[in-house]
This record gives sequence, C-alpha cells and structure tokens, in this order.
Amino acid sequence: MPSIVCSAQASYKKLPGLLELTDTHLQWTKTGDQSPVVKFPYAEAAALSRSKAGAEQVRLKIGLVSNEAGHNFTFTSPQAVALAERDKFEAELTTIIARNRAPPPQAQFPAVATSKARQVATPAPVTNGSAAGTPMRPPAPHARPSQSRAVSVASESRASDTPVGDSPTTDFRLRKKVLVSTPELAQLHRELVMGGHITENEFWEGREHLLLAQAAAESQKRGKPGQLVDPRPQSVDGEVKIIITPQLVHDIFEEFPVVAKAYSENVPEKLSEAEFWSRYFQSRLFNAHRASIRSSAAQHVVKDDPILDKYLEKDDDDIEPRRLREERVDTFIDLGATSVDHEETGNERDITMQAGKQRAVLPLIRKFNEHSTRLLDTALGGPSVKRRRLENGEERYAQLDLEDLHDNQSSAGIILDMKDRQRYFDGRANGAEQGDPEGPRVAFREALQQAKASTTGWSANLAQLRIEKKAGDAALISMTQNVQSRLDVKQRKHDIPEALFRQMTTCQTAANEFLRQFWLAIYPPANEFQQLSVATPAQKTAKALKMIAYLSKTHEKVEALVAEAQREQVDPNRIRVAMKPILDAVDKALSFWQFKNADKAPGVR
Amino acid sequence: MDKPSHLSVIVDLSPTQWAFCAQSTAPPGLPLQTFLSQLLAFLNAHIACKDENTLAVFGAFPGQSVMLYSSTGEAMTSTTEATDPNTYRPFKTLDSTVMSSIAERFNSYDVTEEEEPIGLVGCLTKALCYINRTISVVSASAQGTEGATRSIDPRILVLSVSPDQSSTYIPIMNSIFSAQKLKVTIDVCKVFGADNVFLQQAAHLTGGAYVQIERTDALLQYMMMSFLPPPAIRQLISVPTQDRVDFRAACFCHKRIVEIGFVCSVCLSIFCQPVPVCSTCRTKFPIKTLQRLNASRPLATTPSTPGTPRPLTQKNGAALPRPG
Repeated sequence: MPSIVCSAQASYKKLPGLLELTDTHLQWTKTGDQSPVVKFPYAEAAALSRSKAGAEQVRLKIGLVSNEAGHNFTFTSPQAVALAERDKFEAELTTIIARNRAPPPQAQFPAVATSKARQVATPAPVTNGSAAGTPMRPPAPHARPSQSRAVSVASESRASDTPVGDSPTTDFRLRKKVLVSTPELAQLHRELVMGGHITENEFWEGREHLLLAQAAAESQKRGKPGQLVDPRPQSVDGEVKIIITPQLVHDIFEEFPVVAKAYSENVPEKLSEAEFWSRYFQSRLFNAHRASIRSSAAQHVVKDDPILDKYLEKDDDDIEPRRLREERVDTFIDLGATSVDHEETGNERDITMQAGKQRAVLPLIRKFNEHSTRLLDTALGGPSVKRRRLENGEERYAQLDLEDLHDNQSSAGIILDMKDRQRYFDGRANGAEQGDPEGPRVAFREALQQAKASTTGWSANLAQLRIEKKAGDAALISMTQNVQSRLDVKQRKHDIPEALFRQMTTCQTAANEFLRQFWLAIYPPANEFQQLSVATPAQKTAKALKMIAYLSKTHEKVEALVAEAQREQVDPNRIRVAMKPILDAVDKALSFWQFKNADKAPGVR
Repeated sequence: MDKPSHLSVIVDLSPTQWAFCAQSTAPPGLPLQTFLSQLLAFLNAHIACKDENTLAVFGAFPGQSVMLYSSTGEAMTSTTEATDPNTYRPFKTLDSTVMSSIAERFNSYDVTEEEEPIGLVGCLTKALCYINRTISVVSASAQGTEGATRSIDPRILVLSVSPDQSSTYIPIMNSIFSAQKLKVTIDVCKVFGADNVFLQQAAHLTGGAYVQIERTDALLQYMMMSFLPPPAIRQLISVPTQDRVDFRAACFCHKRIVEIGFVCSVCLSIFCQPVPVCSTCRTKFPIKTLQRLNASRPLATTPSTPGTPRPLTQKNGAALPRPG
C-alpha cells in the first residue's frame, strides 16, 4: 500500500471525492467507490495552475503530459482548510513538475522502470540489431500501438537535453514525431507496419536522415520570449481573474525587481502569498508596471494599498533614464567627441528627432529598452564579454578593416587536369560502329553514284515537286492529333473518383516500399556509417524472398483496380497507363531475382 | 513574327544511309532527289516569310562538315546560274548555291576509300559558332535601340537519317549546353531510321521539337507545320513533338550507351564499371568502395530493356563513386 503524502476532500467534474497524493501517484476517488477514477504517476504531471486567491472556489488544475487540458479539482473543505490543503498539494506537485522538466538522464531509467511496472517491457522489442523481425510482431497487433504510445508519452516528459543516442525510447519518440509531421509517411507506416508486412526497423532503414533531422530540430532550445511581461486580467463572469503560474511569478520577479523586493520583505510575515498577489494586482504598483500608457480603463480598479505603495517609484520620465546605459563608446565612431571641434561651424542641434516628446511615454520606452538590453545580455553573454584587449595597433586597424572595402577578387579555381584528352574526345566504341543493321548492304561506291545522280537536274525536279493530297492530309492529321493529345493532357481535369484514386496511390506506395526493401537487401549498403540494423546474408536473402512474394502480387492488385475502374465507368486504360511505371519496376526486380536464382541453381561452383 | 529569325539547317548527307532510305519499302522510303527538292522548297519558304530572315545551310558528309550556303555570303560558289526570268532571284541564288556545293562535295570523294561516319557534330558546332558570331555582330550594331533583348531568334534544324554514333555523345552534350547558353532551339526531323537518342535529348533540353516522319512523301507538309514557325510564336502555334525522351547516356570509357552507371563525384564522368582511378580528373577511389560496388553491379546478362524511359539518376557522395 503506497504511503499517502497528503490528501484532501475535493470534487472532480462536480462529483465529491477524495484527492490523494501517494509517493508514486496522484489519484482521485469518488466517495463510495473503491478504485480511483483518476490516477496518474508522477512522471505525467506537466503543468500546474490554480484559481486566483480570494476567488470563491479553491481550485487546482493539473496539466498532464499527454492531456493538455488535464484535470480540475475543486477543494470542497471549508475555505481556510481548503486553501491550506491546496497549498500543500501545490508545493508537492511543483517540485514533482520541476523534477519532471529537468532530470538527469541516468536517473530516468530506474524511474521509468518503477513507474512503468504495470506496462510490460516495451523497450525490449526496439533493440538495435534485432535478428529477426518477428519479435516485433506480437500476435495481437492492436495491443502494440497502445503500448508504444504509452512509452513514447513517458519519454516525452523528459527534457530536450537528453542526448540523441541509441536509446530506444528516444528513437521511439523521434519516430513518432516524424510520423506525426508527415501524414503520408504515417499512412504508409500504418498500412505496412501495423499490417505486419514490414518490421519497424526495416521501415526506418533508409530513412535515418529524417530521424536525425528531427533530433536536430528538437535539440534547439527556445530562448526567452521577447514580449514584456504583462499579465492581463481576464474578466470571467464579472470576476476578474489572473492565473498565476510559477513561471509567471518568476518572470515578474525578473522583469520588475521591485516586486521581488516587496515579495521577499512581506511574505510570509505580513502577507500570505495569495494575499500578496491579490493586492499586487489591484495596486498602483501593478498599474505602473503595465505595458500600456492608457490608464483610463484601470482607474476604477486601482486602490490605495498601504504596504505596496511604499515601493512605488517615481516615474521614469526625466531627461536621463534612471538606469544609465553602461556602454563603452568606440573612439572611431564617437560622434560626440568631435562636436567640440565643430562648435562654430557645425550643424545646428537637432530638435526634431528626440525620443519621447511626450513625457508620459518616456517610462514605457525606457522599460522596453531595459527589457531588450536584458534579453540581449542573456543571449550574447553580457556586456563585458566583448571587451578583450589585443595589441593596441592591431586592434585599431582591425576595426577599420571592413570587408566591403576589399576588392572583388575572382578566384582562379582549380584547373581540371585531364589526362588522355584524345581518348576523351575521340574514342571509337569497339564494335559499336557496325554500320549495317538488318537489311541489304550497300557498297559505298554505288551509294555515292546514286547521290551524285540526285544532284543533277535539280531545278527540273523542283519545278515538278508535287505533294499528294492524301499523303499531305494524313501527315496533317497525325500532327494535329499529336498536338491535340498534349493539349488534352494539360487541360484534363482529375476526374478519377476519390476512393479509386486513393487505392491506386496506396498500391503504388506500398509497391515502392517493397521494392526499396528488396533492393536494400540485394545491394550492399549505400553508406557504411549510417545503419540501423546489420543483417547477415542469410537474413538478407530471407528478406528478399519475402519482398519478392509481395511483389508478385502487385500485378493482381493492379488488375483488381482496373476491374473496379470498369465498374465505376472510368476508362480502364487510364489506370493501366498510370500504373505502368511501377509495374515495369516490379517486373525488373522479379526478372533480376529469377535470373540470380537460376544462376545458382545448377550446382554451386 | 516581328523579330527576324535565323535558321541553320544541318542536312545529313550520308550516301549509304540515303541509299537504304531510297530502297526501303516498309517504312516507305524517300529518294534523295525528292528529299532535296522538298528541302529547297522549305528553305525558300523560310526566307520568304520575312525579309530580314537569315539562313545558313550546313551539310554533314562522311568525314566532313561543310557550310553549303549562308545568307551573309560566306559560301559562294564559283559558277553562277544564268538569270531566270521565271524565278524569284533570291530563291534562285539560294537553291543553286546549295545544290552546286553538294554536288561539288560529292564529286570530291574518292570511291575507293572506306566510308567514314558523317560529321554531324562538326556541323552542329559550326552552326553554333556562326550563330554566336552573327548575334554578337547584330547586338553590337543595335545597342542603342534594343537594350537587353536580342533582336534575332536563332534556331537549328537537324534533318537526320543516320543512327546514333556513341562516340559523339560527349561533343553533342557539350553543344547542347552551349546552345542552352546561347538560347538556341534545336529541332530535329528524323526522316528515316531508328530513334536517335542524343538528338532526342538535344531537342528536349533546348525546348525544340523532335518529329519522326511517318509519311515520307509528305515531308514538306511536316516541315512546314513543325519547323517553319520561329520559337517566339510557338506558344501560339503549337508544334508537334515527341514526348518520350530516352535519357540514357554513354559511358566515357567505352562510349557504350548505359542505363545504370557509376559516376565520379568530382568531375561527374560516367563509367560503366567501377574504376580505381577516374580517367578525366585522376581522382583515386578507395579499394573498399570498389569491392563493395563490384558486388553490387547489375548482373551482366540480364537484358537491359529501357521499359518506360526514366532519367539516369546520379548520386554524389564524398569522393566515392556510387551506383546510380
């Protein structure tokens, strides 16, 4: 019996019950029931939010990894007790969530193992180099998808800094992501792998680049958001709510250090956290921190608050900003340094381009500037990093040496060093010059005689030139037909019924995939480094055999499609023409296989 | 047709092939005489279309390529025919120059020698050089007015009866690339004989028309309909062409036409079998790769039928030749 960390009376979906936090799970049982309705392990908790302090109902919402909406629990005990209970739950869950978000990789596996005790070991089938494809095909294929999804869900809760190795769970996750992003691939996968024709590993054998691309895309981390922190209250049923998440709190402290100071001084001695926040959002301090200078809407909400008003600062609308920018001015482009030299003869001082003509706008502009500076500093690593001193002279010159000032130099390139030019340009093919196909041989001399004879008396011939009408018409008609058919093809609309067309496409893609597997088994691997599974020659032949069996059925499939087309009043020839390329490819593979086997059959030498 | 167009005609004049053509009954053949009269009618039609149209005629003879006529007057023969009041003079000059040049060439052959393959490639390159020269002259003179657009629309028409010569693969491909650069359209008219792979590719890559003649007695009808319109108005007057193009290439070592080959990843030269050192750029390939590739070669005796034509795919790795 797992020990219970905390429990509380809470209702879920308007039904009363008991919410319990054990040391492995969070569960909710309806009163009167024995088994919990909602139960999920620690690893699934992803997000936490709660209703506003001072709101009627004390609510706690837990978002899950797999289910964004999560579950809403309302604490039904009397107000104070409910608040305390909720706080306790919240504290526990926050630590759990934090742990979920950034765990060390090694600690994960035992954690996964224990929490996945109920699920049969699914990572096992995904071991690399699995000899035969059969362990992957459980007798009940429908059980497998649910298992695989559960494993991948667990692994999704890991942070993105898990290195992409041969870890089976990361593989699973990547595959799932790739399949989700390309629906055609997902369909192919569904048919072939779920249908049991091809094993999972074989399917991914030529497609490692997709997985690598996905892993690379995932390992890119998102930076800080560029927007100024500006929580807006939403009015729900007349009650104004702000959802406070730990992330929001963290952001507010970072953006407005005054609030952090106020928080640390007041909580928990003078105000509770809930009270602090509710008073903060109704205070003048919060109003001053808004990212818009239109204060008209908020006038009536703002109340005087004895504690928080102490932290009000004067508006930042003097001539100089309150926090001066610490910047080193570059002596080469210090425009201010030379103004002294040009006092008498220089330009007039500019009065047009002055920021913040309206005094009320100045605080906001300065706040934006500070926010941007902070963002850049975190991204680039602080203002002090760039000040590295080299040799005095070199550094100065290096500052002047702009790349745009360099001349355009065309590179000479590497000369192609051809040896044996004669052979390259000349070379007669051996025996390819046989001049006579079937037909009578004509000696050169006679041919030349004939040719010479043709050139004499040409003007008379020209005068007598006649084109027979029938021949001319026939030529005209054939050419017109040629043009017409091409025009037709361009204009023709796609009028094959949708279902038939889909069947055609699936037949083609399935045949393509079988062909790919077949040739993969026959030919040596294209790239020696990237290989998902190394198969012995015996396995390869077995795979080739299997593929040949599938490929032989392709002709029948096409015939079935043609028959169906006839039933649906679509010209069957069109179907045949459309499927012809894939049939040619299949025939080629089949003949290759037969030839190879026929070669081996009469005794091995 | 407001831009003057230039036409360069390359005539395949291989005596043996024409003898075959004259003798053949199925498909019905065409004697050289009739062919030449129809050709002359077509050439007259071209220069009649527009006054500024220019023409150049090249003849591909066994072992040589000759310019037979050019409207800028490079190929003038010594004898001139008497003026004929019944014929339009420019036509007469054109026809007589062409025919006399041809006769002269034929007479210059020594019958005891072996027949060499025709100089089709030579004609092609000469035509391209001629076009390049005339274009640059015209654009130099018309610089103020024309600006960026060229004032002449050039095209090349090849009338062919001979089959493919695989040794000409590389030069023909090079000419095709230069034609693409010069924006010259290459049309091909196959009067007699099997499909010519390289000329098909030439027509396809430069946007020209490839027409195979079925009724040779109506050759003029074919030529008028397919090859008279200049490229500029081909969007309005669609010309027939053959859509099936055989994209096979010839290997560089034996000049054989191959379907599956091995490509050097440095200089892109094609080989029919894996070689340890590329012959054009002298890149060395690792032994292990060669062994692996040798194991993967298609078995030599499977019949290599083209089936439905597909382009030859080339894959490049990091200095490794790979099966394409």
